[in-house]
Amino acid sequence: MNAPNSPPPDAATAIGEWWNRFWFLPAEALLLAKVRWLAGGLALLLWWSYGPDLVTWFGPQGLVSPEVSSQWRPAYGLSLWDATAAPAGIWTLYACGALMLLALTIGFGTPVTSVLAALFFASLLHRGPMLAGPADDVTALMLWCLAIGRSGDALSVDSFLAARAGRPAQPPAVRNRIALSLLRVHASVVAAAAVLAQLKGDVWWDGSAAWWLAARTNSRMVDLAPLLANAEYLTNLLTHGVTLFEIVFAAGVWIGPVRRSVAWAGLVAWPLIGLLAGEPFWGAAMAILALACLAEE
Amino acid sequence: MGKGKNGGDAPGIQTFSEARQRPTGDGLAGPAAPPTEITRGVVTILLALYLVGLLLCVAGNSASGSSALVRTIKTRLFSPWMVPLWLDLAYDTRLTYGTPDDADHFLELRPWNAPASATGATLRLPAPGVRGERAARWRRLARALVVGQDDSDREGLLPAAVAEGLFASLGAEDLSLRVLRTIPPDRDVASAGGRGTVEQAYACRVRRVAGEVQLLPLPPAAEVAPLVANEAPLNPTPRSN
Repeated sequence: MNAPNSPPPDAATAIGEWWNRFWFLPAEALLLAKVRWLAGGLALLLWWSYGPDLVTWFGPQGLVSPEVSSQWRPAYGLSLWDATAAPAGIWTLYACGALMLLALTIGFGTPVTSVLAALFFASLLHRGPMLAGPADDVTALMLWCLAIGRSGDALSVDSFLAARAGRPAQPPAVRNRIALSLLRVHASVVAAAAVLAQLKGDVWWDGSAAWWLAARTNSRMVDLAPLLANAEYLTNLLTHGVTLFEIVFAAGVWIGPVRRSVAWAGLVAWPLIGLLAGEPFWGAAMAILALACLAEE
Repeated sequence: MGKGKNGGDAPGIQTFSEARQRPTGDGLAGPAAPPTEITRGVVTILLALYLVGLLLCVAGNSASGSSALVRTIKTRLFSPWMVPLWLDLAYDTRLTYGTPDDADHFLELRPWNAPASATGATLRLPAPGVRGERAARWRRLARALVVGQDDSDREGLLPAAVAEGLFASLGAEDLSLRVLRTIPPDRDVASAGGRGTVEQAYACRVRRVAGEVQLLPLPPAAEVAPLVANEAPLNPTPRSN
């Protein structure tokens, strides 16, 4: 049924073909497995950063009491840690989460551990929402994407055990494609949201943002302040370079001929931006999203 | 496995229908059963639903605020299942606006009666020497104390909980709690040898009286000190000018 204003059938067919190819073309697990190793490792590092202060924050006399936490998190926020404030319970949950993340990273029992790892990770963030940072946000979404795909079909203990048992390797799967495509969508959305937020600030227009990042004495990872203090043009160049890259990345991962080049650039640029901004884990998380954009089509 | 060339417009790219009929290589299990029309339809609906939710979360959680329409749709239809998964987020990582809010925050607590010069009785968080993501979480906590004062539902809640949690560590149940931030100098000032300052963003007195925790907000103080070397001093002195 073609209404007078409906697009010609060819366009509709092309859109349908693109949609089916983007979401449903079976994909091999190798790239998703690489994402699993990196995202799992990053999640473990972020998880580890809670360890030394876990009881100080969430213990019986914790600084972030359950009342504070519930007031801070949005409605519908839940945490496994809500069930206990006893140090033994807190540490037990923490150890379980670490084991799930480790199992996900090495690809052991992946169909189950990938879901549980994402659940534990989100749960820990909900226990202290004010402690979570941008790296946690991006890592959480990557873990959920990994839970959708079959990343355990390659570079994993699961695949090793299957090979030893004489079972054939798994063929490309639609679930891998859906996971990789979701990662690409998020890579673009997160980059676009970041650049939109940045462009609301004058410092990203007047070219001084790089200075304000470099001059933070406590959180910076590399001390560029002495260099930038006397180099206005370099400061401007770095500032505009960050926003320009983010715009190019957000759009470029959708443009066939340049997609892989943009993704490769992201593997280098995001960690550098993370270092400049004092958010190295966020930069690493964005680089992992860039890696997912290298998927074959 | 008959991989296509890079990018959707590459000459070797296959259509979805062609790709579904590709043979599998040696050593692989049998070809994966292609998703049926019904499966693809259901998954398409779920994906579309999630993508709408993602866009609404980005639009509805922005620091710039959101429209009542977006907020209502997001809150009623998407937040119930996206919040628990930690997916109801704006992802608006601004990195910096060059404002005091973006400066590095830290906590300073000491017994109320202890003199400001008694550095031994003063607890600074993150502790000097703590670095990386662990220190970043402490800085976020310190900043949350300041930000929370703008919200009537949260006002005073976090400072009281933080101080109460540290009564035992400091051996006193009457504490001074301050959130300080290290304000970097303008680039021009820095190029002329100027240094940053330490500014008090929030201060209160928290004490336990007859088993009840009381929080007494202290008036804002225009208290700054020059930043010495790369480390903020524990006890900023009043501004001289």
